[in-house]
Amino acid sequence: MNHLLRVDGATVDYTTRHGLTRALDGADLTVAPGERVGLVGESGSGKSTLGLLVGRLLPSNVATGGTVAVDGRDVLSLDPRELRDLRRRVLGFIPQDPVGALDPTLRVGRQMRLALRGSAGEDRNPVDLLERVRIDRPDRVLRLYPHEISGGMAQRIVIATVMAAAPRLLVADEPTAALDAQSREEVTGLVMDLAGNEGTGVLWLSHDLRAVGRWCDRTAVMYGGRVVEDGATRTVLDDPRHPYTRALSQSDPAHAVPGRRLPAIAGGPPTLAAGAEGCAFAPRCPRAVADCEGHRPLPRDVDGRTVLCLRPESQATAPSDVKAAS
Amino acid sequence: MSTPETVVELRDVDTVFTSGRGRARRVLHAMRGVDLRVAAGETLGLVGESGSGKSTTGAVALGLRRPTSGTVTFLGEPMRRARRRPGAIQAVLQNPHWSLNPRLQVGATVAEPLAARDGSSLRAHRETARRMLERVGLPSGVDTRHPHELSGGQRQRVAIARALITEPRFIVFDEAVSALDVSVQAQILNLIRDLQELHGFGSLFISHDLAAVRYVAHRVAVMLRGEIVETAPTSVFHDVPRHPYSRRLLEAT
Repeated sequence: MNHLLRVDGATVDYTTRHGLTRALDGADLTVAPGERVGLVGESGSGKSTLGLLVGRLLPSNVATGGTVAVDGRDVLSLDPRELRDLRRRVLGFIPQDPVGALDPTLRVGRQMRLALRGSAGEDRNPVDLLERVRIDRPDRVLRLYPHEISGGMAQRIVIATVMAAAPRLLVADEPTAALDAQSREEVTGLVMDLAGNEGTGVLWLSHDLRAVGRWCDRTAVMYGGRVVEDGATRTVLDDPRHPYTRALSQSDPAHAVPGRRLPAIAGGPPTLAAGAEGCAFAPRCPRAVADCEGHRPLPRDVDGRTVLCLRPESQATAPSDVKAAS
Repeated sequence: MSTPETVVELRDVDTVFTSGRGRARRVLHAMRGVDLRVAAGETLGLVGESGSGKSTTGAVALGLRRPTSGTVTFLGEPMRRARRRPGAIQAVLQNPHWSLNPRLQVGATVAEPLAARDGSSLRAHRETARRMLERVGLPSGVDTRHPHELSGGQRQRVAIARALITEPRFIVFDEAVSALDVSVQAQILNLIRDLQELHGFGSLFISHDLAAVRYVAHRVAVMLRGEIVETAPTSVFHDVPRHPYSRRLLEAT
């Protein structure tokens, strides 16, 4: 298949005061042209690191391994000029904190024009761009400074700027986490609509399972720096095979059974110093056996999706009450 | 006692904000004729979209904002008398990062409300703080850490420990789980339920997340443009919402 994004066995090690921290531990992921892929997982699972790696945006104190190909180009070995070209013409990036993404000393209009210089969106009129993200009276907004606008407005301005260049691949890192519930819905819908119009492939990083369930074609679940389950969204979220995906989906209050306690996953995600010898989820996994700690699970096909687990769940082990409640 | 004691009651409360003068003068009704009652041991969920007046209602129920008209009572007395009971009302907010002092060790942060109440030193309450941190499920030794060394879920547990240490009768949770990961949300919601059973505080749980509200609240109140348009027991609300706006909210999730 022709992939817009192909990540193979990606590893990322951060050097910290306390030694190495492994953020990605052999992650595999693909995005096809125009496809919407949700990447879910707890904080610390490696989502953001993977998102940044796609644009080679990680700080300089990291060691990377594996391969990342965007539109057939090997991102990790591009020279600076080629990398700049890739970022301008192919990639779009929406960060979590929109206000931090804007320069506080520049009016909105001026920084939009600066950001668009040299990109495919250079000739577009900022007024039209703001109208596309449903901002009222755009001529007024263009004269404002970032401190004079709300978070939702700031995120719309970032989206308008990023989508002006009609990127082939959009990486959105929890773009709605800092917004209130209503703006979340509107902003997510806006991004997905614009991406749909331009045929942009979307990599949507989120811990909001419900939003991913509603908007994404495919869902990849991350844990301990690897993608542990990957398949069509409905397949993965409604009927998971990896015990971690199941635990995550069951702990969503939307799946709570009246009169029954919400099953929370005990403990927290691991911090790895080096590659995990076995399954990183084994210490928290209800299905783990002795083998899980010592054998690194390899990708395998289970019921129409890819799973990294020695003992994946089968349909028969699915507690029926959980499905009935969703 | 056959009926549980009323902890906080709002009767016909209006809150109006004005801004500007002359022709630029704007008047905003944040609360219109709001009636609410929270009993001991009960959680009232308050839902509604942003700008509907949820947080203003929270501030009024905490006694932090005086309403334009209407009465607010705490344990049957006018809210202003609540000042004589320091620590009896507490709040847990959306982002623990904003509510914890980055320069204080976690143990001191939790001891602070007790020290403020008694006019004593932080050190006098070190042991009580340590026990409270344990009760909210944090590992021992966490009391000598600083907030930046903890995860988001751990920080929210610290905020809850700080709220509980004065044994409050009433707690407002304003979007207390909205910023947390799904798996951590479940842990915190369970913790709130357990601690309420243990301590019997009444609480107002403000959230836009209907699923979280359904899980933790006994009754649900729906707010729309400053008015409470429906109040019902949680199960009734979910099975047969009466107000069209409630139905729209439920369909959206």
